[in-house]
Amino acid sequence: MFNSTGNNFGAGQIQFKDYQAENYVVLNSKFTFDPTNADYQACDQLEIYVPDLSIDRSAVGAVFIRFVEDQHWSWGDSVYDGGSILKSWVKDKNTIVIEKQPWFDQNGPLIIYILTLYPQLNQGVNTIKGTQQRLTVTTEGDYLRFGYETFVVVFEHWAFIHMLISGCTYAYRESLWEATLEELPADITADVPICGGGNQFHPECDGMAEAHIENRVFSNQRRVMGFWDTGHDPFVYAFLVRDNNE
Amino acid sequence: MIALPSIAFGGFSGSAKGVTARQVGGRSILSLKCYPTGVATGAQLARRASLKKISKSWVALSNEQRADWDRLAEHASGASVFGQKAELSGMNLYVRLNANRVMAGEAVMADAPAAQVAVPNVVYGSVAVTPQYMALGGIKHESAPFKLVVKMSGSQSAGISNGWSKTVIITPGMEDDWGEADVTTLYMKTIGVEPTTGQKVFVEAYWLDTDTGFAGQVAREAVIVTGEAPVQRRVRVTMDTLDPTEDNNVTTIDVDFSTGAPVAQFNAVCLGHSNVASSIVHLDRELPTEVIGTGICLGRANGPDGKIVAQSYMVWVRNYYGKADMTFAHRGGYYVAKTECFGAGVMY
Repeated sequence: MFNSTGNNFGAGQIQFKDYQAENYVVLNSKFTFDPTNADYQACDQLEIYVPDLSIDRSAVGAVFIRFVEDQHWSWGDSVYDGGSILKSWVKDKNTIVIEKQPWFDQNGPLIIYILTLYPQLNQGVNTIKGTQQRLTVTTEGDYLRFGYETFVVVFEHWAFIHMLISGCTYAYRESLWEATLEELPADITADVPICGGGNQFHPECDGMAEAHIENRVFSNQRRVMGFWDTGHDPFVYAFLVRDNNE
Repeated sequence: MIALPSIAFGGFSGSAKGVTARQVGGRSILSLKCYPTGVATGAQLARRASLKKISKSWVALSNEQRADWDRLAEHASGASVFGQKAELSGMNLYVRLNANRVMAGEAVMADAPAAQVAVPNVVYGSVAVTPQYMALGGIKHESAPFKLVVKMSGSQSAGISNGWSKTVIITPGMEDDWGEADVTTLYMKTIGVEPTTGQKVFVEAYWLDTDTGFAGQVAREAVIVTGEAPVQRRVRVTMDTLDPTEDNNVTTIDVDFSTGAPVAQFNAVCLGHSNVASSIVHLDRELPTEVIGTGICLGRANGPDGKIVAQSYMVWVRNYYGKADMTFAHRGGYYVAKTECFGAGVMY
């Protein structure tokens, strides 16, 4: 765990959970910034300044950007949260860069989720394969269903998770979901975006919700209105740091 | 050479029949008027033209600018001649630094740099020269504004110990690609003939500060051309490795398996095919068995309709009949045929 030493886009101090190997780092963070602030508007790319990382540069990874939007109708409230992914890389030992895109500047404040593995290249050794485990997701009453490629790849200090949410018993569509991810290590706590679901107000980016993972329990209450739209399959994609890295 | 005693040993300066004598820093220097020999390459002609242009632009500088160059030249040393430190004039330095900048694709700078810049030495691990692959490896990366200049000779007899005068600029300034400077294509473009196995190739490299034009120490290696590269090549799928006779559904691809980590690095702009939510690329070669398997990566739509939807893609990598293919199969999110996949993804 470490804190940022600064940034160039007007965000406050940013806290990271980390696993740092000799040739790659896994970073987890969630923070908010205001796209109307002067620092953000003046910068060409978002830079987060951090204490020495184990690597002095990385290949390009992806981070998530999300906005929150509610609409109020005579018949009730609807959620139109949305987002996309941005390129991100380690520029030097003390700087993490995130590309700046104007897409959601009118929808602030914006949330960034860093759930990213930053690798280095030409390391003299090829990719090391992991072991995929199908993820058994259980809920009381079995109200949630997941696609075939819902899996984890677990390592000593971090894990990768991919979830495809494919169905829900109708009575639970508006409920708080609490699902147990049986094969996920219990020492992971993180907020993760759920990408997908149709978004009538923002069809260019689709929906983006947020789930919380703690002690193997995946929970989510707030979902975009078009969450179950056909062909907009909601998914989770995250590199998650385990809490065993102190 | 015509060398009159009075020219060689006196305080003489001037020219006579192609011989010029001048006093520089207390030393007498005689020089013959030089004429290029052999047929000049396009690059040589361009460089000569650029030197001429830079020299001529000196007169357009203000007195103040010229004084700044003179001041900097007092602190900058030129190449050592006969053990004595040669001195540079402001104009010499102006031409020299700007020639370097122009070579690296930068504009001529009128203002002298504030001070002489310390340029790092090239730290590298290996130099491989084979008929099909020429590269420096294990280079300690230097960030911008430093760029690597590589000079190489054509194949020389293995018995030649000094062929440095035969080197020509292969690249006027490149960035290392994760510690590797692969100059194969540039070598073939410049020299035109593959190196011959068993012969010797002279290789020089130095960092160039493209902001100021200052260059670092030249690293030199005389390399015997071998049949096989002495280093392990990176395993990558790039546009160059695709089979051009097949239908490849990408506009760009660079998938790199050289991470030494539990991920591959994905980078591809997928186009989709046949109304199926996937894109296939066919390689003209097999991939090592250790990278055959299944991966996953994120994608971001970038079609003409402005969509930026996040998606997930499974990536299947397989060998078949002496070749390999790679399929990006859409999974999560709304499918958009033209999507840029990027970032690290686990392999299993």
